[in-house]
Amino acid sequence: MGSLILRNLGKALVALLVLIALTPILWTALGAFKELRDIVTPVPKLFFTPTLENFRTILGNPTIRDGLVNSVIVVGVSVSIGALLGIPAAHSVARYTRRRGDDIQFFVLSLRFMPPVAIAIPFIVIYLGLGIYDTLGGLCLVYLVTTISTMIWLSVPAFERVPREIEEAAAMEGCSEAEVFWRFSLPIAAPSLFGALVFTFVLVWNELLLALTLAAKNATLPVVAASITSLGKEVPWGVINAATVVLVLPPLVFIGLLMGLINTMVRSGGAKG
Amino acid sequence: MTRSRFVLATLAPALVVLGLMAAVSTAGAVWLSLQNRRLSSPDADFVGLYNYLRLFRDKRFLNALQISGLWEIITVTGTLVVAVLLAVLVHETVRKPVWRNVVCFAFLAPVLLPRVAAAFIWRFLYSPSLGLVNWIASLFGFGPIEFLADPHIALFAVAAVDIWQWGLFFAVIVLKLLETLPQAPIEAAMLDNARTWEIHAFITLPMLQGPLISLALVKAVESLRSFDLLFVMTGGGPGTSTETLDLYAYQSGINLGGRISYASAMSILLLVVTTVAFTLIWRAGKRWAR
Repeated sequence: MGSLILRNLGKALVALLVLIALTPILWTALGAFKELRDIVTPVPKLFFTPTLENFRTILGNPTIRDGLVNSVIVVGVSVSIGALLGIPAAHSVARYTRRRGDDIQFFVLSLRFMPPVAIAIPFIVIYLGLGIYDTLGGLCLVYLVTTISTMIWLSVPAFERVPREIEEAAAMEGCSEAEVFWRFSLPIAAPSLFGALVFTFVLVWNELLLALTLAAKNATLPVVAASITSLGKEVPWGVINAATVVLVLPPLVFIGLLMGLINTMVRSGGAKG
Repeated sequence: MTRSRFVLATLAPALVVLGLMAAVSTAGAVWLSLQNRRLSSPDADFVGLYNYLRLFRDKRFLNALQISGLWEIITVTGTLVVAVLLAVLVHETVRKPVWRNVVCFAFLAPVLLPRVAAAFIWRFLYSPSLGLVNWIASLFGFGPIEFLADPHIALFAVAAVDIWQWGLFFAVIVLKLLETLPQAPIEAAMLDNARTWEIHAFITLPMLQGPLISLALVKAVESLRSFDLLFVMTGGGPGTSTETLDLYAYQSGINLGGRISYASAMSILLLVVTTVAFTLIWRAGKRWAR
Protein backbone atom coordinates (compact mmCIF):
# COMPACT_ATOMS: atom_id res chain seq x y z
CA MET A 1 0.00 0.00 0.00
CA GLY A 2 2.73 2.40 0.98
CA SER A 3 4.69 1.58 -2.16
CA LEU A 4 1.58 2.23 -4.28
CA ILE A 5 1.29 5.76 -2.88
CA LEU A 6 4.99 6.26 -3.37
CA ARG A 7 4.77 5.10 -6.98
CA ASN A 8 1.89 7.46 -7.76
CA LEU A 9 3.74 10.27 -6.07
CA GLY A 10 6.73 9.48 -8.27
CA LYS A 11 4.56 9.58 -11.37
CA ALA A 12 3.14 12.95 -10.38
CA LEU A 13 6.67 14.20 -9.86
CA VAL A 14 7.72 13.03 -13.34
CA ALA A 15 4.67 14.76 -14.82
CA LEU A 16 5.63 17.96 -13.01
CA LEU A 17 9.18 17.69 -14.37
CA VAL A 18 7.93 17.24 -17.92
CA LEU A 19 5.89 20.38 -17.34
CA ILE A 20 8.99 22.24 -16.11
CA ALA A 21 10.88 21.09 -19.19
CA LEU A 22 8.26 22.18 -21.70
CA THR A 23 6.27 25.06 -20.21
CA PRO A 24 8.93 27.74 -20.76
CA ILE A 25 9.15 26.85 -24.45
CA LEU A 26 5.39 26.62 -24.98
CA TRP A 27 4.79 29.80 -23.01
CA THR A 28 7.20 31.67 -25.26
CA ALA A 29 5.54 30.23 -28.37
CA LEU A 30 2.21 31.42 -26.98
CA GLY A 31 3.64 34.85 -26.24
CA ALA A 32 4.74 35.18 -29.84
CA PHE A 33 1.07 35.32 -30.88
CA LYS A 34 0.04 37.83 -28.23
CA GLU A 35 -0.38 41.55 -28.50
CA LEU A 36 1.63 43.54 -25.99
CA ARG A 37 -1.43 44.35 -23.88
CA ASP A 38 -2.12 40.62 -23.51
CA ILE A 39 1.44 40.06 -22.30
CA VAL A 40 1.70 42.92 -19.84
CA THR A 41 -0.94 41.67 -17.43
CA PRO A 42 -0.62 41.00 -13.71
CA VAL A 43 -2.29 37.59 -14.12
CA PRO A 44 -0.90 35.54 -17.06
CA LYS A 45 -3.46 35.11 -19.83
CA LEU A 46 -3.98 31.70 -21.36
CA PHE A 47 -6.78 32.77 -23.70
CA PHE A 48 -6.53 35.74 -26.03
CA THR A 49 -7.11 36.74 -29.63
CA PRO A 50 -4.03 35.58 -31.50
CA THR A 51 -2.18 37.96 -33.80
CA LEU A 52 0.49 37.47 -36.43
CA GLU A 53 1.68 41.05 -36.00
CA ASN A 54 4.87 40.03 -34.15
CA PHE A 55 5.98 37.69 -36.93
CA ARG A 56 5.15 40.35 -39.51
CA THR A 57 7.39 42.78 -37.61
CA ILE A 58 10.17 40.21 -37.49
CA LEU A 59 10.10 39.22 -41.14
CA GLY A 60 9.56 42.81 -42.25
CA ASN A 61 12.58 44.06 -40.31
CA PRO A 62 15.57 44.18 -42.70
CA THR A 63 18.13 43.61 -39.92
CA ILE A 64 16.46 40.42 -38.82
CA ARG A 65 15.96 39.23 -42.39
CA ASP A 66 19.64 39.85 -43.14
CA GLY A 67 20.54 38.03 -39.94
CA LEU A 68 18.58 35.02 -41.08
CA VAL A 69 20.27 35.04 -44.50
CA ASN A 70 23.72 35.54 -42.96
CA SER A 71 23.14 32.70 -40.51
CA VAL A 72 22.09 30.34 -43.29
CA ILE A 73 25.15 31.24 -45.41
CA VAL A 74 27.71 31.07 -42.60
CA VAL A 75 26.32 27.88 -41.08
CA GLY A 76 25.89 26.23 -44.48
CA VAL A 77 29.41 26.99 -45.69
CA SER A 78 31.24 26.19 -42.46
CA VAL A 79 29.34 22.97 -41.77
CA SER A 80 29.78 21.65 -45.33
CA ILE A 81 33.50 22.39 -45.41
CA GLY A 82 33.80 20.93 -41.91
CA ALA A 83 32.14 17.71 -43.10
CA LEU A 84 34.16 17.60 -46.32
CA LEU A 85 37.48 17.81 -44.47
CA GLY A 86 36.46 16.18 -41.20
CA ILE A 87 34.78 12.96 -42.34
CA PRO A 88 37.66 11.53 -44.45
CA ALA A 89 40.11 12.54 -41.71
CA ALA A 90 37.99 10.74 -39.11
CA HIS A 91 38.01 7.60 -41.25
CA SER A 92 41.80 7.62 -41.47
CA VAL A 93 42.12 8.26 -37.72
CA ALA A 94 39.81 5.35 -37.00
CA ARG A 95 41.47 2.90 -39.40
CA TYR A 96 45.01 3.73 -40.42
CA THR A 97 46.70 5.50 -37.52
CA ARG A 98 47.72 3.42 -34.55
CA ARG A 99 49.43 5.29 -31.79
CA ARG A 100 49.27 8.71 -33.36
CA GLY A 101 45.49 8.36 -33.66
CA ASP A 102 45.07 8.93 -29.93
CA ASP A 103 47.22 12.03 -30.10
CA ILE A 104 45.21 13.41 -32.98
CA GLN A 105 41.97 12.76 -31.11
CA PHE A 106 43.31 14.49 -28.03
CA PHE A 107 44.48 17.46 -30.09
CA VAL A 108 41.04 17.75 -31.69
CA LEU A 109 39.32 17.56 -28.31
CA SER A 110 41.72 20.06 -26.76
CA LEU A 111 40.51 22.63 -29.29
CA ARG A 112 37.20 22.47 -27.46
CA PHE A 113 38.99 23.55 -24.26
CA MET A 114 39.98 26.82 -25.89
CA PRO A 115 37.95 29.69 -24.49
CA PRO A 116 36.16 31.44 -27.38
CA VAL A 117 37.49 34.83 -26.22
CA ALA A 118 41.03 33.52 -26.69
CA ILE A 119 40.17 32.91 -30.35
CA ALA A 120 38.12 36.05 -30.85
CA ILE A 121 40.54 38.72 -29.65
CA PRO A 122 43.62 37.87 -31.73
CA PHE A 123 41.45 37.34 -34.79
CA ILE A 124 39.94 40.81 -34.45
CA VAL A 125 43.43 42.25 -34.82
CA ILE A 126 44.44 39.88 -37.62
CA TYR A 127 41.22 40.50 -39.54
CA LEU A 128 41.54 44.27 -39.12
CA GLY A 129 45.03 43.99 -40.60
CA LEU A 130 43.89 41.81 -43.50
CA GLY A 131 40.80 43.92 -44.11
CA ILE A 132 38.37 41.03 -43.67
CA TYR A 133 36.94 42.22 -40.36
CA ASP A 134 33.13 42.18 -40.39
CA THR A 135 32.92 39.80 -43.33
CA LEU A 136 31.07 36.51 -43.54
CA GLY A 137 34.17 34.78 -44.96
CA GLY A 138 36.21 35.66 -41.91
CA LEU A 139 33.51 34.32 -39.62
CA CYS A 140 33.29 31.08 -41.64
CA LEU A 141 37.05 30.60 -41.34
CA VAL A 142 36.91 30.80 -37.53
CA TYR A 143 33.88 28.53 -37.40
CA LEU A 144 35.87 25.90 -39.32
CA VAL A 145 37.78 25.19 -36.11
CA THR A 146 34.52 24.24 -34.42
CA THR A 147 33.01 22.34 -37.33
CA ILE A 148 36.09 20.33 -38.37
CA SER A 149 37.05 19.38 -34.82
CA THR A 150 33.50 18.42 -33.85
CA MET A 151 33.01 16.41 -37.05
CA ILE A 152 36.24 14.46 -36.45
CA TRP A 153 35.50 13.97 -32.76
CA LEU A 154 32.02 12.53 -33.41
CA SER A 155 32.81 10.62 -36.63
CA VAL A 156 35.75 8.54 -35.39
CA PRO A 157 33.48 6.29 -33.24
CA ALA A 158 31.10 5.95 -36.20
CA PHE A 159 33.88 4.60 -38.43
CA GLU A 160 35.23 2.37 -35.67
CA ARG A 161 31.85 0.62 -35.61
CA VAL A 162 32.02 -0.28 -39.32
CA PRO A 163 32.80 -4.03 -39.40
CA ARG A 164 36.44 -4.53 -40.34
CA GLU A 165 35.61 -7.70 -42.32
CA ILE A 166 33.67 -5.71 -44.92
CA GLU A 167 36.58 -3.33 -45.49
CA GLU A 168 39.09 -6.16 -45.62
CA ALA A 169 36.97 -8.14 -48.08
CA ALA A 170 36.65 -5.08 -50.31
CA ALA A 171 40.43 -4.56 -50.18
CA MET A 172 40.95 -8.22 -51.15
CA GLU A 173 38.76 -7.65 -54.19
CA GLY A 174 41.26 -5.02 -55.27
CA CYS A 175 39.55 -1.85 -54.10
CA SER A 176 41.91 1.00 -53.26
CA GLU A 177 41.66 2.75 -49.88
CA ALA A 178 39.71 5.58 -51.45
CA GLU A 179 37.23 3.15 -53.00
CA VAL A 180 36.81 1.25 -49.73
CA PHE A 181 36.08 4.51 -47.98
CA TRP A 182 33.71 5.86 -50.61
CA ARG A 183 31.78 2.70 -51.52
CA PHE A 184 31.68 0.80 -48.22
CA SER A 185 32.69 2.62 -45.04
CA LEU A 186 30.91 5.87 -45.82
CA PRO A 187 27.47 4.38 -46.63
CA ILE A 188 27.62 2.06 -43.60
CA ALA A 189 28.59 4.85 -41.20
CA ALA A 190 26.22 7.37 -42.82
CA PRO A 191 23.40 7.30 -40.22
CA SER A 192 25.77 8.11 -37.34
CA LEU A 193 27.58 10.67 -39.47
CA PHE A 194 24.29 12.43 -40.08
CA GLY A 195 23.85 12.76 -36.32
CA ALA A 196 27.32 14.28 -36.05
CA LEU A 197 26.45 16.70 -38.85
CA VAL A 198 23.31 17.82 -37.05
CA PHE A 199 25.13 18.29 -33.77
CA THR A 200 27.73 20.44 -35.52
CA PHE A 201 24.98 22.43 -37.21
CA VAL A 202 23.30 23.17 -33.88
CA LEU A 203 26.61 24.27 -32.31
CA VAL A 204 27.34 26.80 -35.04
CA TRP A 205 23.76 27.96 -35.43
CA ASN A 206 23.67 28.86 -31.72
CA GLU A 207 27.09 30.54 -31.55
CA LEU A 208 27.07 34.11 -30.23
CA LEU A 209 30.46 35.34 -28.99
CA LEU A 210 32.53 34.93 -32.16
CA ALA A 211 29.77 36.31 -34.35
CA LEU A 212 29.35 39.26 -32.01
CA THR A 213 33.04 40.14 -32.00
CA LEU A 214 34.13 39.29 -35.55
CA ALA A 215 31.09 40.25 -37.62
CA ALA A 216 29.07 42.75 -35.64
CA LYS A 217 27.73 44.48 -38.75
CA ASN A 218 27.13 41.35 -40.80
CA ALA A 219 25.43 39.82 -37.82
CA THR A 220 24.01 36.32 -37.62
CA LEU A 221 20.62 35.60 -36.08
CA PRO A 222 21.76 35.11 -32.43
CA VAL A 223 23.52 38.49 -32.49
CA VAL A 224 20.47 40.22 -33.96
CA ALA A 225 18.20 38.53 -31.43
CA ALA A 226 20.51 39.53 -28.57
CA SER A 227 20.26 43.17 -29.63
CA ILE A 228 16.47 43.38 -29.98
CA THR A 229 15.95 44.38 -26.35
CA SER A 230 17.23 47.83 -27.11
CA LEU A 231 14.70 48.53 -29.88
CA GLY A 232 12.62 51.53 -28.84
CA LYS A 233 11.57 52.51 -25.34
CA GLU A 234 9.07 49.84 -24.38
CA VAL A 235 10.46 46.31 -24.20
CA PRO A 236 8.81 44.61 -27.20
CA TRP A 237 8.13 41.29 -25.49
CA GLY A 238 5.88 40.00 -28.26
CA VAL A 239 8.55 40.64 -30.89
CA ILE A 240 11.23 39.10 -28.67
CA ASN A 241 9.10 36.01 -28.25
CA ALA A 242 8.53 35.75 -32.00
CA ALA A 243 12.28 36.14 -32.68
CA THR A 244 12.99 33.43 -30.12
CA VAL A 245 10.56 31.10 -31.88
CA VAL A 246 12.27 31.70 -35.25
CA LEU A 247 15.66 31.03 -33.63
CA VAL A 248 14.47 27.89 -31.87
CA LEU A 249 12.67 26.14 -34.71
CA PRO A 250 15.58 24.84 -36.85
CA PRO A 251 17.44 23.03 -34.03
CA LEU A 252 14.25 21.71 -32.47
CA VAL A 253 13.40 19.86 -35.69
CA PHE A 254 16.29 17.50 -34.96
CA ILE A 255 15.14 16.29 -31.55
CA GLY A 256 14.38 12.78 -32.85
CA LEU A 257 17.84 12.56 -34.34
CA LEU A 258 19.50 13.55 -31.09
CA MET A 259 17.60 10.74 -29.41
CA GLY A 260 18.91 8.25 -31.98
CA LEU A 261 22.46 9.55 -31.51
CA ILE A 262 22.24 9.03 -27.74
CA ASN A 263 20.91 5.52 -28.24
CA THR A 264 23.75 4.42 -30.54
CA MET A 265 26.42 6.13 -28.41
CA VAL A 266 25.22 4.48 -25.22
CA ARG A 267 24.91 1.07 -26.84
CA SER A 268 28.43 1.21 -28.27
CA GLY A 269 29.94 0.84 -24.83
CA GLY A 270 29.40 3.79 -22.56
CA ALA A 271 29.06 7.48 -23.17
CA LYS A 272 32.27 8.52 -24.81
CA GLY A 273 31.28 12.06 -24.69
CA MET B 1 47.49 5.58 -54.68
CA THR B 2 49.35 3.89 -51.85
CA ARG B 3 47.97 3.64 -48.38
CA SER B 4 50.22 6.25 -46.80
CA ARG B 5 49.39 8.74 -49.53
CA PHE B 6 45.66 8.17 -49.00
CA VAL B 7 46.04 8.68 -45.25
CA LEU B 8 48.04 11.83 -45.86
CA ALA B 9 45.52 13.17 -48.37
CA THR B 10 42.61 12.71 -45.97
CA LEU B 11 44.29 13.83 -42.76
CA ALA B 12 46.45 16.69 -43.94
CA PRO B 13 43.82 19.26 -45.02
CA ALA B 14 41.80 18.98 -41.82
CA LEU B 15 44.78 18.95 -39.48
CA VAL B 16 46.55 21.78 -41.32
CA VAL B 17 43.49 24.04 -41.02
CA LEU B 18 42.99 23.17 -37.34
CA GLY B 19 46.68 23.44 -36.47
CA LEU B 20 47.10 26.71 -38.32
CA MET B 21 44.07 28.33 -36.72
CA ALA B 22 45.01 27.14 -33.23
CA ALA B 23 48.63 28.24 -33.63
CA VAL B 24 47.71 31.61 -35.13
CA SER B 25 45.18 32.47 -32.43
CA THR B 26 47.38 31.32 -29.55
CA ALA B 27 50.51 32.99 -30.90
CA GLY B 28 48.50 36.10 -31.73
CA ALA B 29 47.09 36.29 -28.22
CA VAL B 30 50.53 35.84 -26.62
CA TRP B 31 52.02 38.49 -28.95
CA LEU B 32 49.24 40.95 -28.14
CA SER B 33 49.40 40.29 -24.42
CA LEU B 34 53.01 41.52 -24.32
CA GLN B 35 52.07 44.89 -25.81
CA ASN B 36 49.89 47.80 -24.77
CA ARG B 37 47.70 47.81 -27.81
CA ARG B 38 44.21 49.28 -28.02
CA LEU B 39 41.52 48.63 -30.56
CA SER B 40 41.42 52.30 -31.59
CA SER B 41 44.98 52.59 -32.93
CA PRO B 42 47.43 50.12 -34.50
CA ASP B 43 50.47 51.60 -32.72
CA ALA B 44 51.79 49.78 -29.70
CA ASP B 45 54.90 49.23 -27.62
CA PHE B 46 56.16 46.12 -25.94
CA VAL B 47 55.55 46.19 -22.23
CA GLY B 48 56.76 42.73 -21.30
CA LEU B 49 54.76 41.02 -18.59
CA TYR B 50 53.17 44.25 -17.38
CA ASN B 51 49.64 43.15 -18.36
CA TYR B 52 49.95 39.89 -16.45
CA LEU B 53 51.28 41.60 -13.35
CA ARG B 54 48.47 44.13 -13.50
CA LEU B 55 45.89 41.34 -13.67
CA PHE B 56 46.73 40.16 -10.18
CA ARG B 57 46.16 43.63 -8.76
CA ASP B 58 42.90 44.06 -10.65
CA LYS B 59 40.02 43.54 -8.18
CA ARG B 60 37.54 43.12 -11.00
CA PHE B 61 39.66 40.33 -12.51
CA LEU B 62 39.95 38.52 -9.20
CA ASN B 63 36.20 38.88 -8.77
CA ALA B 64 35.63 37.43 -12.25
CA LEU B 65 37.96 34.54 -11.43
CA GLN B 66 35.91 33.80 -8.32
CA ILE B 67 32.60 34.05 -10.20
CA SER B 68 33.90 31.72 -12.92
CA GLY B 69 34.98 29.15 -10.34
CA LEU B 70 31.64 29.42 -8.56
CA TRP B 71 29.79 29.10 -11.88
CA GLU B 72 31.73 25.94 -12.77
CA ILE B 73 31.01 24.34 -9.40
CA ILE B 74 27.31 25.23 -9.33
CA THR B 75 26.55 24.17 -12.90
CA VAL B 76 28.62 20.97 -12.99
CA THR B 77 27.43 19.58 -9.65
CA GLY B 78 23.90 20.86 -10.22
CA THR B 79 23.70 19.24 -13.65
CA LEU B 80 25.03 15.89 -12.47
CA VAL B 81 22.89 15.74 -9.33
CA VAL B 82 19.76 16.65 -11.28
CA ALA B 83 20.63 14.18 -14.05
CA VAL B 84 21.22 11.24 -11.70
CA LEU B 85 18.16 11.90 -9.52
CA LEU B 86 15.83 12.36 -12.49
CA ALA B 87 17.22 9.34 -14.33
CA VAL B 88 16.66 7.11 -11.30
CA LEU B 89 13.20 8.57 -10.72
CA VAL B 90 12.09 8.00 -14.32
CA HIS B 91 13.74 4.56 -14.36
CA GLU B 92 11.76 3.51 -11.28
CA THR B 93 8.37 5.09 -11.99
CA VAL B 94 7.86 5.13 -15.75
CA ARG B 95 7.83 1.56 -17.01
CA LYS B 96 5.99 1.70 -20.33
CA PRO B 97 8.41 2.34 -23.24
CA VAL B 98 5.97 4.75 -24.91
CA TRP B 99 5.73 6.99 -21.87
CA ARG B 100 9.43 6.75 -21.30
CA ASN B 101 10.02 8.02 -24.83
CA VAL B 102 7.61 10.89 -24.26
CA VAL B 103 9.49 11.88 -21.12
CA CYS B 104 12.83 11.63 -22.93
CA PHE B 105 11.63 13.87 -25.76
CA ALA B 106 10.40 16.45 -23.29
CA PHE B 107 13.73 16.39 -21.44
CA LEU B 108 15.71 16.77 -24.66
CA ALA B 109 13.87 19.84 -25.89
CA PRO B 110 15.55 22.47 -23.66
CA VAL B 111 19.14 21.59 -24.63
CA LEU B 112 18.43 22.06 -28.31
CA LEU B 113 17.41 25.67 -27.76
CA PRO B 114 20.04 28.19 -28.75
CA ARG B 115 21.47 29.68 -25.56
CA VAL B 116 20.39 33.13 -26.67
CA ALA B 117 16.83 31.87 -27.04
CA ALA B 118 16.91 30.08 -23.68
CA ALA B 119 18.22 33.27 -22.10
CA PHE B 120 15.36 35.30 -23.53
CA ILE B 121 12.74 32.74 -22.54
CA TRP B 122 13.89 32.81 -18.93
CA ARG B 123 14.37 36.54 -18.77
CA PHE B 124 10.72 36.75 -19.74
CA LEU B 125 9.71 34.14 -17.15
CA TYR B 126 11.80 35.74 -14.40
CA SER B 127 10.44 39.23 -15.02
CA PRO B 128 9.14 40.65 -11.71
CA SER B 129 6.03 42.32 -13.17
CA LEU B 130 4.88 39.97 -15.92
CA GLY B 131 6.85 36.73 -15.53
CA LEU B 132 5.26 33.36 -14.98
CA VAL B 133 7.70 32.37 -12.23
CA ASN B 134 6.88 35.37 -10.10
CA TRP B 135 3.18 34.85 -10.70
CA ILE B 136 3.46 31.30 -9.37
CA ALA B 137 5.52 32.59 -6.43
CA SER B 138 2.81 35.16 -5.68
CA LEU B 139 0.20 32.37 -5.53
CA PHE B 140 2.17 30.98 -2.61
CA GLY B 141 2.40 34.39 -1.00
CA PHE B 142 5.91 35.38 -2.01
CA GLY B 143 6.36 38.94 -3.16
CA PRO B 144 7.88 39.68 -6.53
CA ILE B 145 11.44 38.37 -6.50
CA GLU B 146 14.01 40.32 -8.49
CA PHE B 147 15.71 37.18 -9.80
CA LEU B 148 18.13 38.93 -12.14
CA ALA B 149 18.49 42.26 -10.34
CA ASP B 150 19.39 40.91 -6.90
CA PRO B 151 23.18 40.37 -6.69
CA HIS B 152 22.73 37.49 -4.26
CA ILE B 153 20.34 35.53 -6.48
CA ALA B 154 21.30 36.49 -10.04
CA LEU B 155 24.10 33.96 -10.55
CA PHE B 156 21.95 31.13 -9.19
CA ALA B 157 18.99 32.21 -11.30
CA VAL B 158 21.11 32.01 -14.46
CA ALA B 159 22.69 28.73 -13.32
CA ALA B 160 19.18 27.32 -12.93
CA VAL B 161 18.63 27.94 -16.65
CA ASP B 162 21.88 26.17 -17.48
CA ILE B 163 20.86 23.21 -15.33
CA TRP B 164 17.39 23.26 -16.92
CA GLN B 165 19.08 22.75 -20.28
CA TRP B 166 21.90 20.35 -19.39
CA GLY B 167 20.58 18.51 -16.33
CA LEU B 168 17.52 17.30 -18.22
CA PHE B 169 19.66 16.36 -21.24
CA PHE B 170 22.11 14.35 -19.12
CA ALA B 171 19.18 12.73 -17.31
CA VAL B 172 18.19 11.14 -20.63
CA ILE B 173 21.77 9.90 -21.18
CA VAL B 174 22.01 8.46 -17.65
CA LEU B 175 18.59 6.83 -18.09
CA LYS B 176 19.76 5.16 -21.33
CA LEU B 177 22.92 4.02 -19.53
CA LEU B 178 20.86 2.52 -16.70
CA GLU B 179 18.87 0.57 -19.29
CA THR B 180 22.00 -1.00 -20.74
CA LEU B 181 23.37 -2.28 -17.41
CA PRO B 182 23.56 -6.04 -16.88
CA GLN B 183 20.61 -7.21 -14.78
CA ALA B 184 22.29 -10.00 -12.80
CA PRO B 185 23.81 -7.97 -9.91
CA ILE B 186 20.61 -5.96 -9.58
CA GLU B 187 18.47 -9.08 -9.35
CA ALA B 188 20.85 -10.55 -6.79
CA ALA B 189 20.47 -7.44 -4.66
CA MET B 190 16.69 -7.61 -5.01
CA LEU B 191 16.75 -11.19 -3.73
CA ASP B 192 18.63 -9.86 -0.72
CA ASN B 193 15.74 -7.48 -0.11
CA ALA B 194 17.76 -4.38 -0.82
CA ARG B 195 15.73 -1.18 -1.04
CA THR B 196 15.49 0.61 -4.36
CA TRP B 197 17.67 3.51 -3.32
CA GLU B 198 20.26 1.10 -1.94
CA ILE B 199 20.41 -0.74 -5.27
CA HIS B 200 21.09 2.53 -7.08
CA ALA B 201 23.48 4.02 -4.55
CA PHE B 202 25.61 0.92 -4.11
CA ILE B 203 25.27 -1.06 -7.35
CA THR B 204 24.07 0.76 -10.45
CA LEU B 205 25.68 4.17 -9.97
CA PRO B 206 29.12 2.76 -9.07
CA MET B 207 28.86 0.67 -12.25
CA LEU B 208 28.33 3.91 -14.19
CA GLN B 209 31.31 5.66 -12.61
CA GLY B 210 33.31 5.91 -15.84
CA PRO B 211 30.56 7.42 -18.01
CA LEU B 212 29.53 9.78 -15.20
CA ILE B 213 33.08 11.12 -14.98
CA SER B 214 33.13 11.69 -18.75
CA LEU B 215 29.81 13.51 -18.49
CA ALA B 216 31.19 15.73 -15.73
CA LEU B 217 34.18 16.57 -17.91
CA VAL B 218 31.99 17.39 -20.91
CA LYS B 219 29.82 19.61 -18.75
CA ALA B 220 32.85 21.34 -17.22
CA VAL B 221 34.13 22.21 -20.70
CA GLU B 222 30.68 23.29 -21.77
CA SER B 223 30.21 25.47 -18.67
CA LEU B 224 33.19 27.54 -19.75
CA ARG B 225 31.10 28.65 -22.71
CA SER B 226 28.48 30.36 -20.62
CA PHE B 227 29.05 33.72 -22.26
CA ASP B 228 25.81 33.85 -24.25
CA LEU B 229 23.55 32.96 -21.34
CA LEU B 230 25.06 35.52 -18.97
CA PHE B 231 25.48 38.15 -21.68
CA VAL B 232 21.79 38.18 -22.57
CA MET B 233 20.33 37.57 -19.11
CA THR B 234 22.40 39.86 -16.91
CA GLY B 235 25.27 41.28 -18.97
CA GLY B 236 27.47 40.58 -15.94
CA GLY B 237 25.30 42.60 -13.60
CA PRO B 238 23.96 43.69 -11.26
CA GLY B 239 27.31 45.38 -10.67
CA THR B 240 29.83 42.65 -11.37
CA SER B 241 28.02 39.92 -9.44
CA THR B 242 27.66 37.62 -12.46
CA GLU B 243 30.71 38.70 -14.45
CA THR B 244 32.72 35.63 -15.44
CA LEU B 245 36.17 35.74 -17.01
CA ASP B 246 35.05 35.59 -20.61
CA LEU B 247 32.48 38.30 -19.96
CA TYR B 248 35.11 40.56 -18.37
CA ALA B 249 37.57 39.83 -21.18
CA TYR B 250 34.86 40.78 -23.67
CA GLN B 251 33.91 43.94 -21.78
CA SER B 252 37.47 45.21 -21.36
CA GLY B 253 38.76 44.06 -24.73
CA ILE B 254 35.94 45.02 -27.03
CA ASN B 255 33.28 47.06 -25.31
CA LEU B 256 35.06 49.46 -22.96
CA GLY B 257 37.88 51.30 -24.64
CA GLY B 258 39.08 48.18 -26.43
CA ARG B 259 42.11 47.32 -24.29
CA ILE B 260 42.79 44.24 -26.37
CA SER B 261 46.27 43.60 -25.01
CA TYR B 262 44.94 43.44 -21.49
CA ALA B 263 42.09 41.18 -22.57
CA SER B 264 44.58 38.96 -24.42
CA ALA B 265 46.61 38.48 -21.26
CA MET B 266 43.40 37.46 -19.54
CA SER B 267 42.44 34.97 -22.22
CA ILE B 268 45.95 33.47 -22.29
CA LEU B 269 45.76 32.93 -18.55
CA LEU B 270 42.32 31.35 -18.99
CA LEU B 271 43.65 29.16 -21.78
CA VAL B 272 46.61 27.90 -19.74
CA VAL B 273 44.51 27.17 -16.65
CA THR B 274 41.77 25.31 -18.53
CA THR B 275 44.17 23.34 -20.74
CA VAL B 276 46.28 22.20 -17.79
CA ALA B 277 43.26 21.43 -15.61
CA PHE B 278 41.39 19.50 -18.28
CA THR B 279 44.42 17.58 -19.48
CA LEU B 280 45.04 16.40 -15.92
CA ILE B 281 41.38 15.55 -15.31
CA TRP B 282 41.19 13.80 -18.70
CA ARG B 283 44.20 11.60 -17.93
CA ALA B 284 42.98 10.89 -14.40
CA GLY B 285 39.49 10.11 -15.66
CA LYS B 286 40.84 7.68 -18.25
CA ARG B 287 42.85 5.83 -15.65
CA TRP B 288 39.92 5.83 -13.25
CA ALA B 289 37.47 4.55 -15.83
CA ARG B 290 39.60 1.54 -16.54
